Amino acid sequence: MDMATLHSIFTVLVFVGFIGLVVWLFVLKRKPDFDEQANLPFADDQKPKQQQKQESDHE
Amino acid sequence: MSQTKSLNVDYNYTVVRLFAVTTVLWGIVGMVVGVLLAAQLYWPALNFDTAWLTYSRLRPLHTNAVIFAFGTSALFATSYYVVQRTCQVRLFAEKLAMFTFIGWQVVIIAAAITLPLGISQSKEYAELEWPIDILITLVWVSYAIVFFGTLVKRNTSHIYVANWFYGGFIITVAALHIVNSMVIPVSLFKSYSVYAGAVDAMVQWWYGHNAVGFLLTAGFLGMMYYFVPKQAGRPVYSYRLSVVHFWALIALYIWAGSHHLHYTALPDWTQSVGMVMSVILFVPSWGGMINGIMTLSGAWHKLKTDPILRFLIVSLSFYGMSTFEGPMMAIKSVNALSHYTDWTIGHVHSGALGWVAMISIGAMYHLIPAVFNQGRMYSIKLINTHFWLHTIGVVLYIVAMWISGIMQGMMWRAVNTDGTLTYSFVQSLEASYPFYLMRFIGGCFVVTGMLIMAYNVVKTIRAKDGALEPVAEAA
Repeated sequence: MDMATLHSIFTVLVFVGFIGLVVWLFVLKRKPDFDEQANLPFADDQKPKQQQKQESDHE
Repeated sequence: MSQTKSLNVDYNYTVVRLFAVTTVLWGIVGMVVGVLLAAQLYWPALNFDTAWLTYSRLRPLHTNAVIFAFGTSALFATSYYVVQRTCQVRLFAEKLAMFTFIGWQVVIIAAAITLPLGISQSKEYAELEWPIDILITLVWVSYAIVFFGTLVKRNTSHIYVANWFYGGFIITVAALHIVNSMVIPVSLFKSYSVYAGAVDAMVQWWYGHNAVGFLLTAGFLGMMYYFVPKQAGRPVYSYRLSVVHFWALIALYIWAGSHHLHYTALPDWTQSVGMVMSVILFVPSWGGMINGIMTLSGAWHKLKTDPILRFLIVSLSFYGMSTFEGPMMAIKSVNALSHYTDWTIGHVHSGALGWVAMISIGAMYHLIPAVFNQGRMYSIKLINTHFWLHTIGVVLYIVAMWISGIMQGMMWRAVNTDGTLTYSFVQSLEASYPFYLMRFIGGCFVVTGMLIMAYNVVKTIRAKDGALEPVAEAA
């Protein structure tokens, strides 16, 4: 197999990988999982996490 | 909110404090050298006929000081802070972390001595000679061990997105530095690249552009994804978008370097690949910018009262502007006009002073009180003064360079009906002259702002523990 074919296969794999990532993010994975991750910067504050989250919901 | 003690984790803030203070110190040094260079371009006599004060030797000192001393210290400080806080765990291998601080300062001082002496590998942003390059490698590998070691022993189930950006930046910069610094030493202060001709140029700009892409972009995006939500008091606009942002940016940036070599001996197709990849890069860049700015949606009023948040958000606007301008300038026909002109200098500074410096300054104003047991900076008013001085300075600088650069490009390409050039080079230089004064004035504004920051930082550090009460949050 020559380099051009290898490069083509690599390009297709990266493209499929990216589409896979988008599908995984927006279709397969649920939003609450991400809400938890998005709140990580606030998770170690003195306030309990629940309270922090409610506050941001109310704003 | 006081952020010194959080949960029951005892964080290592010593190394964060050291890097935070050196960020401000080297920021001032690097920018003062920049202003001196701007002055030399207007008043050439300012090199005093002294070899080590000439533009050619101070220019690499300026770029190294602002990128590797100021910017990278800010990255060290914030990454050590963010990785501990978002993983809720103390830093891994603390002695190694201290080695990264001492080692990095030695690198900076070695650069400050060798560059004015004219000791240089002559590769832009990779000027330092091979013994210093080896020390950089040692520091960087230690940095990776500390950072990833901390990630491994984390107390949270997820790795927050900011750490992904920091991690990507650390790994890629290691690879870039090692590959581009491959040289054959002939003496302690002289070496030759192992690559030849156009390949050497391509390796250099693969390195050079990814220094922009991973050090000056991915690293500072890590900063953005922590400090913007934190200062705004609300989580990032879309976590999903941040994941797409990360992977798209990482996958694309690495291919864009050849746009620095348009119309050179580099094969045409390689130039075109660089151009196309650069244009596509616009998409993830703006995705990230929108994600950052939209974090404020519903809380825009905070911008009115919080100058730190203003620093962070305006930095994102400059990021958006630079990442629109960059892809445009990478298009070959635009590049034919812009290359080798002051437009490039303006573009770099809208990225460096607008995006990198403003996000770092904003992050420092948030981080310094937190790691020095204070509720806030000594003076919020002075932060606001700094914000306006910096903004005015940057706008003066980039507007001057836009006008000067486009004018140069137009004058250089103007031809008479008989095919001869309409203008000589000196004529274009004369036309640029007033704008060099404007740039110098802009630089003075920026440095003044930095000096005010230094005063504010010293006052904050020297205040009694907890003496500075946090600002009451507007509902």
